[in-house]
Amino acid sequence: MSTLLENHIVELLQERNEKAISLLYENYSDTLYGVAFKVVKNEALAQDVLQESFVKIWKKADTYDPTKAKLFTWLFRITRNTAIDKLRSGKKKIEKEIQIDVSDVYKLGIDGINPDSIDMQENLEKIEDKYRIVLEALFFEGMTQQEASDELDIPLGTIKSRLKIGLRELRKIYVEPIILLILLNLIS
Amino acid sequence: MKDKIKDFLETDLLENYLLGTTTELEKQKVERYIAMHPEVRKTYNKLQENLEEFAKSYALKTPEGLKDKIITTIKAQNKTKKKFMSYAIAASFVAFLFAVATYFFYNENKNLQEENSVVTNQIKLLEADMKERLEDVRNQFIVLNNPQTKKFKVRGNNKGKNLKAVAYVNPVKKLSYINLQNLPNLAEGECLQMWAEVNGEMINLGIIKDAGNKDNLLALPYGENAVGYITIEPEGGNETPTVDNIVANISY
Repeated sequence: MSTLLENHIVELLQERNEKAISLLYENYSDTLYGVAFKVVKNEALAQDVLQESFVKIWKKADTYDPTKAKLFTWLFRITRNTAIDKLRSGKKKIEKEIQIDVSDVYKLGIDGINPDSIDMQENLEKIEDKYRIVLEALFFEGMTQQEASDELDIPLGTIKSRLKIGLRELRKIYVEPIILLILLNLIS
Repeated sequence: MKDKIKDFLETDLLENYLLGTTTELEKQKVERYIAMHPEVRKTYNKLQENLEEFAKSYALKTPEGLKDKIITTIKAQNKTKKKFMSYAIAASFVAFLFAVATYFFYNENKNLQEENSVVTNQIKLLEADMKERLEDVRNQFIVLNNPQTKKFKVRGNNKGKNLKAVAYVNPVKKLSYINLQNLPNLAEGECLQMWAEVNGEMINLGIIKDAGNKDNLLALPYGENAVGYITIEPEGGNETPTVDNIVANISY
């Protein structure tokens, strides 16, 4: 379901109107920056990623097909891939420089929590850890399901089902409790 | 069909497609399923919404000034692109002009080369012709001025009473010439042809064309005891002399 705002931005993008960038930034930059930061775990790098992603979004605007993906899905793909590429090229450099063990590279965990994102993190805590870890590994660490299975020491089948449940039932897992909380607050 | 859709949803193709990590083949398959089956489409849309929701939960406040930086970068790139485009157009135009000019000069060069070879050939022919004529004039000079040159008067027989000619023969230089002074009257469709019998062989010396030019000397092939003949032949000349039509013979 596309909103009016989304349609408007898409129109502007396809007309190559620079206003589109401004609107995109106002509506999506925080989320995309959060995604970039989650992947690269470094503010300066995340800013670079966001900038590169916006340039790509602007350049590739004519390849966006609204019938195939929501605007956000498209923006997310570009930002995620840019961030993962950035991380990999950075890692290559580090590997060359100090030859660290590969096993250190995909270290998972909640390192790098930003004070600004604590509220969000609280919401996120409501997704059960077992789903969140899988989703993060696949979405932000750029792992394939096989890599996630190896890294997290979880069978591939379980990774698949957790991804599915985690993503498909996301609302049930964490949106509904929030609504419940809001309702409870209203009642009390 | 239901099972097919269920099987499809069981795989993680849809999730991979959402992240853009499918192969091109898988991508086509997923897009086909989304287009054809409302149930798959619904699931995909749900996944998209959930992804946005999930991603939003990680949102971070972007630092001050980043927006301006990004917009400046994009505007600068647009300008460079426009600049590049105008340079590209200019370059294409120059390239086009160059191509046209190249073609023009190539053609011009080709024409000039052809003309050059024609002119060269003409010069060669002229040169050869000049040499031949010079040689001829030199020989005429030698024959006429040499004291050893014998001069024969030639007169026509009954068939060509008007024929008068003088033959010059120089046995030392081995040269002989004939000067036709007067030609017999010819009927229409006839011409005079000269022959020489040298060492028993009859040689065609050609048709006498410019008989009117009395100063002209015609070269005869030289031979010991050679005999020259003038015959009347049908217009255009003959391959062998018609003996009956001999109007004069010149022994030299």
